[in-house]
Amino acid sequence: MGLWSALSRYRTPLLILAFCLAIASTFFFGYRAGRTARHVRWQNEPIQPWMSVPFVAHVHHTHSEVLFQAIHVPPNPRDRRSIREIARAQKVPASQLIRQLQDALTAQSGKAP
Amino acid sequence: MRDQVLAALAHYGSPALFVTVLIAAIGVPLPVTLLLIVTGSLVAQGAMNLWWAIAIASVGQVAGDQTGYLLGRWGGKKLIARFGGMIGHADRIRQLDERAKNWGGAGVFFSRWLVTTLGPWINLASGAGGYSWLKFTLWDFLGETFGSALYIWLGVVFSDRVEEVGAILGDLTWAIMGVLAAAILGWKLFYRHPRAISTT
Repeated sequence: MGLWSALSRYRTPLLILAFCLAIASTFFFGYRAGRTARHVRWQNEPIQPWMSVPFVAHVHHTHSEVLFQAIHVPPNPRDRRSIREIARAQKVPASQLIRQLQDALTAQSGKAP
Repeated sequence: MRDQVLAALAHYGSPALFVTVLIAAIGVPLPVTLLLIVTGSLVAQGAMNLWWAIAIASVGQVAGDQTGYLLGRWGGKKLIARFGGMIGHADRIRQLDERAKNWGGAGVFFSRWLVTTLGPWINLASGAGGYSWLKFTLWDFLGETFGSALYIWLGVVFSDRVEEVGAILGDLTWAIMGVLAAAILGWKLFYRHPRAISTT
């Protein structure tokens, strides 16, 4: 007996179950997309270990030099290493560099008029 | 994996973009939509050229899709001959083949950019089902170019909100998949076999 004929015995209950799951997943993902969209307007993008310093500077509308200085790296806008890579080179955890960058951004926003 | 891929893109640019989209198009689950949005952000930062990025992403994805199609064409028939009995009799397989041919163009086009999770499966199914290579390539190229341009452009516009935009698009894709699945299942339940419901 093939798999198909074995499944066809429970065809209708399986179809009803799959139909309900499809409706539920539509509402779940639709709601989640809407919730994220509402937060986009006022929340700053969190710094991720994959981001490079110029990338973080762009996302937070600041100059990369300030951020490079905050993590003790010679400022170079062409330095596109990720934060994780820089952390590995400095032998510190990426979370520490992210905290330093975050502090520098907070200090910058305090200076802004 | 996601972080490594995005870090490679931010560091190496076009070569990383090409390799990643090619591998993803073959079927390895990688965050291609987010990757294209981050590419758009890099374009906005002046690290990449817009047209070059769209071209690289399209060509890489088409190359991966062609690999999937050829795998389906050469390996698919053998697999169906060996395991075909599990999904039904020869009539049922012929029926599936016919359906793939009828819906081929639209299926290929929309799975390139709207329901991207289905893309690699449609590549294999198109190859195994004997869907015309020329038509497949045409719809594939159109879909991938449109999808790449769309997501890279979104990345340019929302260049400072890449993670959030990626998350929204990911959820929307699954919501659309849910709507499609509900429509197909609903049609099967209420129109094709309405008696089955009334007897349950």
